[in-house]
Amino acid sequence: MAAGLDPTLITAALAALEAAVNQALTLDPAAQRALARLADRTFAIECTAPVFAVYLQPGAERVRLLGYHDGPVTTRVTGTAADFTELASSSDPAATLINGNLALQGDSAPLIELQQILGNLDLDWEAPLVDALGDVTGHQLAELLRAGFSGGRVVSRSLLRQLEEFIHEEARLSPSRLEVEDFYADVQALEQRVERLQSRLTRLRKRIVQAAP
Amino acid sequence: MSKKRTTHFGYKEVDEDAKAGLVANVFHSVAARYDLMNDLMSGGVHRIWKRFTIELSAVRPGQSVLDIAGGTGDLAAKFADIVGPEGRVVLADINESMLQVGRDKLIDHGYQGNLEYVQADAQYLPFPDDSFDCVSIAFGLRNVTDKDLALRSMLRVLKPGGRLLVLEFSKPDNELLGKAYDGYSFRVLPLMGRLVAGDSESYQYLAESIRMHPDQETLLGMMEDAGFVNCEYHNLTGGIVALHRGCKA
Repeated sequence: MAAGLDPTLITAALAALEAAVNQALTLDPAAQRALARLADRTFAIECTAPVFAVYLQPGAERVRLLGYHDGPVTTRVTGTAADFTELASSSDPAATLINGNLALQGDSAPLIELQQILGNLDLDWEAPLVDALGDVTGHQLAELLRAGFSGGRVVSRSLLRQLEEFIHEEARLSPSRLEVEDFYADVQALEQRVERLQSRLTRLRKRIVQAAP
Repeated sequence: MSKKRTTHFGYKEVDEDAKAGLVANVFHSVAARYDLMNDLMSGGVHRIWKRFTIELSAVRPGQSVLDIAGGTGDLAAKFADIVGPEGRVVLADINESMLQVGRDKLIDHGYQGNLEYVQADAQYLPFPDDSFDCVSIAFGLRNVTDKDLALRSMLRVLKPGGRLLVLEFSKPDNELLGKAYDGYSFRVLPLMGRLVAGDSESYQYLAESIRMHPDQETLLGMMEDAGFVNCEYHNLTGGIVALHRGCKA
């Protein structure tokens, strides 16, 4: 819980967020079923700057978000707000989670599973729209939304790819991932060779000292 | 002839024997519109206070919980969801009307199986020693005639390691907020009570009883005197409400 902040504010914010998450989950029964597999686990998200903690407990029907938890935790992720922002905006959150600045404690597999379930939410707008607007209008609007979302996803993926190509290939502002990985591998190999050379020199120096009259 | 012991009923001094009946009349009068009035008076914030209480209760599936002065069953319903079919929740209230409203509401919402309803006085809880993992009392302790006796009774029915949670109106920690809160309590609340529940006197009593209730530190001391350990409290909404927690050793 955030030090100094009135618990009413934090509890209210978590209640609102929990309601939104659960509302979204009702529109994706597959995600709901997948989350049920993680029931009885508790995931702790501890932010060190600013200081606050959120505990997430998936259940068979709904997810609970708590500001206070007194019991065992399956996985604890600790880091600053900037680290969590990096994770949220990362194209490969699993890699960011493991290689980033976040400290991970406990079992990481359920956490990665949770991240994948929430990341792959596919909301079905049809039921609530049909309930509110009737069969014809609701269905048409749901189709439009579906097309919009899937088109949006394609456009955003394509834009991302083109931007990546421009930065790496055209403007040469930044090296590509493969080049960076090669470079790091070379640096690592060089580091090892330098270390070996250093130890050979040390050995030689010792022999010279011993051989000296 | 020995002089009769007195206690407060709002700002009035009344015989100790008479308080329970007077409080009962208040709650018989407001029972039907209790939930609506709670939402109106607190702007819905009482739900947040109760949610925080549930979080601090650390209740787990399979445990047993006693919700004293459980009224219309807000906390009991949440506890019943958490303890699941293997657990047990007892909704207790001294007032028959409140218990009736609470029982009807929970049954209508499909709660059954792990919920029991008991008309009981917090001072003389009708349960064996070491019965519950958690005891809660939300907005009820200030209406109890002998609070020390009630706290000792709660300690008795708790299992060793069990937790007591007392959610109650308290003293705002900011003077300006306190003045605004006084104005709201003594002017707006009775008016709201008259317009919505047709009863301004009960809501006048509500405001008075809050002022007569022990403040945060006093209640903490009372819990320690009763035998609770690891006692602590959390101020909510600037201290308008405080959640006290203590454990049975």
